[in-house]
Amino acid sequence: MLPKKVKKRAALLTAILFSSLIAIFIILKTLSSNILYFKSPTDIKNSQDNSINKKIRVGGMVKKNSLIISGAEIKFTITDFKNEIRVSYSGTVPNLFSEEKGVVAEGKLQDKKYFIADRILAKHDENYMPPELKEIIKKNVK
Amino acid sequence: MINNLIYMDGYGIFVWSSFVLTFLVCAVFYYKTRKTLKKYEKEFAIEIEKLSVERKKIALEKSKVASKVFSTYNKTF
Amino acid sequence: MFNFFYNSNIFIWIERVINFINSIFFALLLVALSFALIFSPPDYLQGDSVRIMYIHVPAAWIGLASFTCIALLSILNFIFKVKNFKLISKSIAPIGLMFTCIALVTGSIWGQPTWGTFWAWDARITSMLILALFYFLFILTQKLISDEDKANKISSIIAAVGFINIPIIKYSVEWWNTLHQPASIKITGTSTIHASMLMPLLLMFLVLILYCALIFLMKYKTEIIRIKKNNLKRL
Repeated sequence: MLPKKVKKRAALLTAILFSSLIAIFIILKTLSSNILYFKSPTDIKNSQDNSINKKIRVGGMVKKNSLIISGAEIKFTITDFKNEIRVSYSGTVPNLFSEEKGVVAEGKLQDKKYFIADRILAKHDENYMPPELKEIIKKNVK
Repeated sequence: MINNLIYMDGYGIFVWSSFVLTFLVCAVFYYKTRKTLKKYEKEFAIEIEKLSVERKKIALEKSKVASKVFSTYNKTF
Repeated sequence: MFNFFYNSNIFIWIERVINFINSIFFALLLVALSFALIFSPPDYLQGDSVRIMYIHVPAAWIGLASFTCIALLSILNFIFKVKNFKLISKSIAPIGLMFTCIALVTGSIWGQPTWGTFWAWDARITSMLILALFYFLFILTQKLISDEDKANKISSIIAAVGFINIPIIKYSVEWWNTLHQPASIKITGTSTIHASMLMPLLLMFLVLILYCALIFLMKYKTEIIRIKKNNLKRL
């Protein structure tokens, strides 16, 4: 039905697309650990290679009632609700940094349970609402 | 009220810079696109004008685009 | 039956649509801006910086949507050689690139006060940068390669390969750990954005879509005139 030329072009394009799809898939697979912007405390617990002097990022929630501020130093616990890791940091934190909110800490691991950060980023979640509504939700939860 | 709108609890600079930047870029882009369009319309009309009388008649009769551009061009200039 | 798709008939319609958009654009823009900047509430956590989202999100949507259009049209054009599709995708590309860049820039302006950094090499942001790169390559091949047929072929292949990136952008926030938050507006299920913020977002989206349509139509008109001008010599 279709002219031969059209079929030929369709086949060529399919071949190009298919091969680039496979190439991209392989690239993403091999890079998968590098694509992850941060590791969760569980990832760190499970991984074999925890070289101390490598810079990594740890992310999760700031655990409730774990934040201690003593002078310039801030200590808190990052949790993914399965495992947790203690973080120490001195410096300024973003406005959105607070307990029970997402956080990404950049720095070096001391051991599997202790992390010294030299940079703190706040990770925002996908919820957007006006402040009054937040108050109502808070009351209802209590 | 006005102060609050500009300052926005310290976020003002971020909010206003992104809004102003976006609309500035959009305005410049609109202006450039319009300018190119006008340039092409003008060139096209001039080209039609240059044709000999018979060929001009054929072109304007055969092509709606030609007659449209030619008439709007002659109206504005 | 396909009369409508003849360039000369489209041309008359383009004029009408442009005039229509011009007549309502500024009123709509004013309404959308006043909702985005004044009447919508601040976020409970981000405060007023949430207002940047009203540009950032529609710009990113437009960037993704126009690349999807370009890719589909390019694939069809590559296989069936429809000249009109080439003109359309060529007219869309600059707007798509511009809005992808706007999304990247406003995103980093938002990132500074909320995340604490302008830039992060996370999956969402990097894949968005790659999208901008594909746009750039697409436009560049059409500008630099003077042989039209060859330029058409190469740019079509670029668009088709770049199309693979679109689902990667969409799902990057779910497949990998990213600094960027997951989507708030879901096609299925409930959105996690409050109605008082969704409204200005959709209004701004409407305004920017109309702007895109305006630019697209002007560019498309330019392309038609260019072709007709070349035809004039042959008449």
